[in-house]
Amino acid sequence: MALVKKMLHLYLRRLSEKAENRRSLLRAAAFHKHSAGQPPPAAEENALPENRVPSAAATGRDTPAKTLNEMPGPNTISNIIEFFYRDGFSRIHEIQQQHSKKYGRIFKSRFGPQLVVSIADRDMVAEVLRAEGVAPQRANMESWKEYRDMRGRSTGLISAEGEDWMKMRSVLRQLIMRPRDVAVFSDDINAVVADLVTRVCQLRRKQPDGLTVLNVNDLFFKYAMEGVSVIMYEQRLGCLEERIPQQSLEYIAALHLMFSSFKTSMYAGAIPVWLRPFIPKPWREFCHSWDGLFKFSQIHVDRKLSEIRARLAAGEEVKGGMLTYLLVTKEMTVEEIYANMTEMLLAGVDTTSFTLSWSIYLLALHPQVQQRIYEEVERTLRPGQVPVSEDIPRMPLIRGLVKETLRLFPVLPGNGRITQKDLVVGGYLIPAGTQLALCHYSTSLDEENFPGATEFQPERWVRKDATDRVDNFGSIPFGYGIRSCIGRRIAELEMHLALTQLIQNFRIQVSPLTQVVRPKTHGLLTPGAPINVQFVDRL
Amino acid sequence: MKPARPGSRAHNSLTPYVTGHRDAACIRSRQFSCYTRTLRSEDKVTIHFINRDGLKMTVKATPGDSLLDVVIDQNLDLDGFGACEGTLACSTCHLIFEEEVFKTLGPITDEEMDMLDLSYKPTDTSRLGCQICVHKSQEGMTVHVPESVADLRQPDVGTTSSSS
Repeated sequence: MALVKKMLHLYLRRLSEKAENRRSLLRAAAFHKHSAGQPPPAAEENALPENRVPSAAATGRDTPAKTLNEMPGPNTISNIIEFFYRDGFSRIHEIQQQHSKKYGRIFKSRFGPQLVVSIADRDMVAEVLRAEGVAPQRANMESWKEYRDMRGRSTGLISAEGEDWMKMRSVLRQLIMRPRDVAVFSDDINAVVADLVTRVCQLRRKQPDGLTVLNVNDLFFKYAMEGVSVIMYEQRLGCLEERIPQQSLEYIAALHLMFSSFKTSMYAGAIPVWLRPFIPKPWREFCHSWDGLFKFSQIHVDRKLSEIRARLAAGEEVKGGMLTYLLVTKEMTVEEIYANMTEMLLAGVDTTSFTLSWSIYLLALHPQVQQRIYEEVERTLRPGQVPVSEDIPRMPLIRGLVKETLRLFPVLPGNGRITQKDLVVGGYLIPAGTQLALCHYSTSLDEENFPGATEFQPERWVRKDATDRVDNFGSIPFGYGIRSCIGRRIAELEMHLALTQLIQNFRIQVSPLTQVVRPKTHGLLTPGAPINVQFVDRL
Repeated sequence: MKPARPGSRAHNSLTPYVTGHRDAACIRSRQFSCYTRTLRSEDKVTIHFINRDGLKMTVKATPGDSLLDVVIDQNLDLDGFGACEGTLACSTCHLIFEEEVFKTLGPITDEEMDMLDLSYKPTDTSRLGCQICVHKSQEGMTVHVPESVADLRQPDVGTTSSSS
């Protein structure tokens, strides 16, 4: 509690500091457009007068910060052509790289009324994230909020902002963010990994060569879903069974709809409300997929709740995991629990499965690297020993494998922040309320940050000793700081344990059926084609 | 007795939340708040914090508490310190130790090293305060609270890469 109070205190103090800083900036700049108390409007660089920048004298420096007007970037027309005509949405990650080469490591683009300042520089990304306050904002979540208001739902960690977000984050991070708290899930996860290994054997038997698993992402999707739900709902869903239960099938369908309609549902937020009667499909699909996701969470939360009530009524002790804890302590309302379970499940399935798919693909493409990792696993574990969380530190190449996969294929190729105070970044004054795009794909493939950037080298992450520092802001796939991925440690555990056992059991080879697979942006960075791999028994 | 932090409550009220390994429980008790809290004042450990302005703040800390607990409980005025509440998601509780003390601090996890990589100007004797427990042997130690962030309101900051 003390901590929460302290945070609130700091938050309030920062607000007043912010106002103070702004006042001095205002004085220096003669005036400024928005005030601290109001929600910051989308930055409108053209609407701002030229003389708004603090003068050199006022800041005590020789070089005054430049305005957004002076910032280079593609013009609106070419952006429209790039994205709508040439389907740039599926190549956002490549466009990010091209634009940063052409316009520099900080540039601006326009998407309709939305101005976005893209930052494709490791040090500038670090500066922005280190400067953030106690409740950072990622992006405009209006369409998410609108759906929730319409259905009387709560927001969850992705869609909530400000104090609502702080409160929920504070509860949830205490449950699933500390590595040592997550380590206790090893056995639960390993039960799912055992099913994964069995499923690999079943699937490959169905192919003529007896070795190939087609579209390995489909398998990992089910693995990730099973893994997340065993932790969050304290229940298995049967996704890795030959016959998947109807309810889980429905949920998988809802998730797929969410992703397949991602592009249209992105427009759902961009299309003004008055236009909806004329273009109804995006909003309708958006609502439909959310309905499916919420329904699924509600079924599982309600089931757990009635279990707990039955136990209490019978005078029995209530034991359980994360969901039980949330329901018993009532630190969040049931609606908040529904919303958070929904959003965490949405965030925790395909992210993990894509990364596992890329890892397997990279291992198949690089047999020598795979062999070195295999040898490390063999050295560390006894034959047939099932690894647990505590074994992972002794297998630095397994950690390196996940880090290197996420460097080459950051599942979130870019992340967003809305600036909450005026910042000077890269020599430009960026007013509060500006949408920033942190270009992780560009920085993690930047030769300056990672020599041999396009090569797959898990070894680059292995430390010589504990004081061997890697300045790795260039690759922060889970983000950094207070609003970073809350499921990070769970995802890491799921990936470390699954990869270790797959490497332990199988030699992974590219199937002749697989062409070169390139990444495609579909909300997330996804494999652009099915990854088919052969799993050959080690032994 | 001070109120337990939310995290510890999770494990007290619902012990089976712990479904995993004995080893994990070991790690927990080794690293965190494992000693009794009802200690007499003479059992407390004197620690000096040097803040970002070079000012010294001296506190009496309870053995077993993490240095993040100490900063919060003693209400030390360190802006932004411990933003993620000790969950290893940030590096705002970055502290610099004296070399002799540093050697006694015990093992460092991969996760802490990863977060130290992201701290502002880490040194060879840097650790995260949330991962360090107060111990009697630390009596009289001095820890430095380094700068956590460059001031982005100054126009020369952040220009390092703007030439490209």
